[in-house]
Amino acid sequence: MAFDDDIQMKYKEMLANYIQELTEQALYEGQRFSWKAIEHKIPPEEIINIHLKVLKELFPDIPKKILDSFDFLLEVMVGYGLAYQEHQFLRGRQLELKSEIEIAANVQQALLQTNIPKVEELDIGVISVPAKIMNGDYYQFAEHENTMSVAIADVIGKGIPAALCISMIKYAMDSLLESRQNPSYILENLNRVVEQNIDVNMFITMFFGKYDFRTNKITYASAGHEPGFYYCASEDHFYDLQSKGLVLGVDRQVKYEQYELNLFQNDMIILLSDGVTETRTKEGFIDRAAVTSAIRAHLHLPAQQIVENIYKDFEKMQGFQLRDDFTLIIMKKNV
Amino acid sequence: MNLEIDIKREKKVSYVHLKGEIDAYTAPALKNKLAPISEESEPFIEVNLKDVEYMDSTGLGVFVGLLKTVRKQGGKLKLTNLSPRLERLFHITGLDSIIEISRKGED
Amino acid sequence: MDGQSCVMIMNEWDIVAARQLGRHAAKELGFGAVDQARITTAISELARNIYHYANGGKIYIDKIEEKEKKGIKITASDHGPGIPDIRKAMEDGFTTSGGLGAGLPGVKRLMDEFYIDSKTGEGTVVQVVKWLR
Repeated sequence: MAFDDDIQMKYKEMLANYIQELTEQALYEGQRFSWKAIEHKIPPEEIINIHLKVLKELFPDIPKKILDSFDFLLEVMVGYGLAYQEHQFLRGRQLELKSEIEIAANVQQALLQTNIPKVEELDIGVISVPAKIMNGDYYQFAEHENTMSVAIADVIGKGIPAALCISMIKYAMDSLLESRQNPSYILENLNRVVEQNIDVNMFITMFFGKYDFRTNKITYASAGHEPGFYYCASEDHFYDLQSKGLVLGVDRQVKYEQYELNLFQNDMIILLSDGVTETRTKEGFIDRAAVTSAIRAHLHLPAQQIVENIYKDFEKMQGFQLRDDFTLIIMKKNV
Repeated sequence: MNLEIDIKREKKVSYVHLKGEIDAYTAPALKNKLAPISEESEPFIEVNLKDVEYMDSTGLGVFVGLLKTVRKQGGKLKLTNLSPRLERLFHITGLDSIIEISRKGED
Repeated sequence: MDGQSCVMIMNEWDIVAARQLGRHAAKELGFGAVDQARITTAISELARNIYHYANGGKIYIDKIEEKEKKGIKITASDHGPGIPDIRKAMEDGFTTSGGLGAGLPGVKRLMDEFYIDSKTGEGTVVQVVKWLR
């Protein structure tokens, strides 16, 4: 390689020049040389060796002790050279892993596709953004003749472990939804599946609701999930969606209580994951009122626009770095 | 992202004092430190959370796992001095109905 | 071709004796200063492993010749506990001693040829070669 052959000569020129002139320009030449040397994978101990050879040529009378000191320096630098090589190797590995994860994330996205029901009665907006590459939040809609169901779940942790759990829930839910049963039944069954199949330190929070178009009632149950909100249009007031239940996966025999709510025109149901309420600004955590204020600011927009605007606001609040997966669902009653 | 773990044994009870944050980074260390104690016969573990400013769901998971083991060994787990924020976390998840909890100033 | 030299590694200062032998052989063969440093670092690493994990072993230093090439061959052997997971021991970023020293991947990088075999309960052999360029 041309660079390697001349390297000692070039180095001698640059070093001699610097010692003679002592200019910043001359030092900068050294920096440029270093980039080239790194590009050509010249290890640090080689550079020391070149420096030593060049010194001998430039200063034939150089004291032996100084030359000897370079043997010592060489010994020390071999270790650094190895660390550098390991670093280069690990960098390459990391890029490989990253693309593997991205492929997995795409597979996951395809598997978890859920269609947002297009029904006259409800205007539905959804946003779900993972903090890392794979999403540990899960949501699912299902439509039947006179009813529609919505599920939102949060697996503890982030990234790949959480995402793998989500796949399990999705498949369990698919078969449970076929049964057309009520929310209590769904959560109780899911709880048993989860308890048998996850690590002792894991659990899942979930909210499950069923809306009946004939009665305009939403029936719901929650397994330790962050409470959603109910916006009552006639009072122009936000209520917490009251519900209590133990998280999934801890106790096989838990029972879940069901709750009911009537929806009127322009009322809203808001569901979220704790990535929303765990938003941290410079001042500290936001409180739940921040969520309702944010909704108020965009109240008269279509549901999808509301969720997207809120996400943008909260993203900015966190300095564009999500701490946790962020999921927000808004369902507005049109008629 | 730092957690200090201090454990004092007084007869049959292990008093655990935690300081800092319990999250995905610090939770594994906490789990490993508490594991041997929880696996003894009839372990009595009291964890003081007075100086825990923040805990996320991974932290909760550690206590869930701890509770399961302690129960299996016929022992008891108690968490004390929870801040309002932590108390809320245990309440929403329903975990306050299965783990003994007391808030700051109550003991 | 000269005969083989051998150093028993029982104490930490035996590591220095092994290095000395290696450097001497490398110099005689005509290796430059940088390669000498690389060879002695490799010997250090192998001797340290014997000292820390195997409770005693041997380092053999050979000058070898193959066709037109001259080189140095270092063999480290012990009857220690053996390495249970050689694959893991050869992985970058994995060190049992907490990051000190180059580890086996480092030794492999310093030399031209690398061979390892180990049986749990019986011992370990590592053999490396560096050729004169």
